[in-house]
Amino acid sequence: EDAERISSADVAVVQERRRILEDWYNWREVVEEEIAEERAELGLSEDPIEELLRAKAAEVAPDGEEQVIE
Amino acid sequence: MRPVLLAGHERALTQIKYNREGDLLFSTAKDQHICAWFAHNGERLGTYQGHQGAIWTVDVDPTSTILASGSADNTIRLWEVKTGKLLKTWDFPTAVKRVEFNEDATQLLGVTEKRMGHLGTIVVLDIKIDPEAEQSDEKAMTIVCEESKATVAGWSYLSKYIIAGHEDGSVSQYDAKTGDLIYNVNVHELGSPITDLQWNQDRTYFITASKDKTAKLITAKELEVLKTYVADTPLNSASITPKKEFVILGGGQAAMDVTTTSARQGKFEARFYHKIFEEEIGRVRGHFGPLNTVAADPTGKGYASGGEDGYVRVHLFDKGYFDFNYEVERERLNRLAAQGGN
Repeated sequence: EDAERISSADVAVVQERRRILEDWYNWREVVEEEIAEERAELGLSEDPIEELLRAKAAEVAPDGEEQVIE
Repeated sequence: MRPVLLAGHERALTQIKYNREGDLLFSTAKDQHICAWFAHNGERLGTYQGHQGAIWTVDVDPTSTILASGSADNTIRLWEVKTGKLLKTWDFPTAVKRVEFNEDATQLLGVTEKRMGHLGTIVVLDIKIDPEAEQSDEKAMTIVCEESKATVAGWSYLSKYIIAGHEDGSVSQYDAKTGDLIYNVNVHELGSPITDLQWNQDRTYFITASKDKTAKLITAKELEVLKTYVADTPLNSASITPKKEFVILGGGQAAMDVTTTSARQGKFEARFYHKIFEEEIGRVRGHFGPLNTVAADPTGKGYASGGEDGYVRVHLFDKGYFDFNYEVERERLNRLAAQGGN
């Protein structure tokens, strides 16, 4: 009987965790979509940092050729 | 998880920041220099000399070109990362407690201290990520904190909001374009200062640490409290780990604040909590005093802590860390893997 009680408590805990986990990832999905849309509407690039890094790389090698460092 | 010990500061650490690639670490302390370190072996890359007081805060732009710092000498300074050259100094009437670049580092915010005759403010400066460029003298904006001074602040996703944590335990959301206060919400115990505010990677939510012994995960858009992490000691810092769903909390009671002789040792630990389940999952010992600052490597490989004891400890996570999953997480990962395999 004890074992049964414990196992049903375990099941409840696991089910609760499963729900919490699903809630979290569902929320993340909604937020990520929202931000992507907002970014597009504002005409901003999807990844502004990638753009900055490209600009910096271009400055280092302005002709666009890869620099070979030996 | 053997740590690398960085002994380059003579006083208490105030803030640690990784660069975006996670290969460099910048630290500030109450001694008057900023240190730069290689994260993988703790070798010192250099120092940035010039401040005339305790340095409270540091941030680096996403391309690791320029560094900003704020100090008790009432200045914000801008440095070239590579050479250590001082590029610009902005003067304020009071100490600068926090600086942060927005996501594309076109702007920098600074939190200034409240003092007789001066209210606390959040100032915004226009920035050019170019060591050769002339930086603007003028402030782009000043937000005055009429109610309770800001202790920390940062920029949300899309640089849409400035979020501030206050001395009274509340959090404010300001319009980052106009500086108008949109919301102010009491999230921590009234009168318990917020000591840190750090973002998740896309800056849609953040974590606050407070002297009320809790850390909270809060959305940038609604200021909704999503999660609460309960500790048994006042917290000075909190950080969100990428790759794994954890948060790291740091704190501890300063010796002078401990009233009983039974001051328990071992409270000076970094605490790991599961971000989603809010449960403590582990602690890392090492410091001889409170942890003033914790930072998660943005690439997910490790974390660093800075203590009142003057040390920075850099940890690389081992396999056990990456393998750790709750049963329901493993279940979900297996399901995703099965879907991906089809």
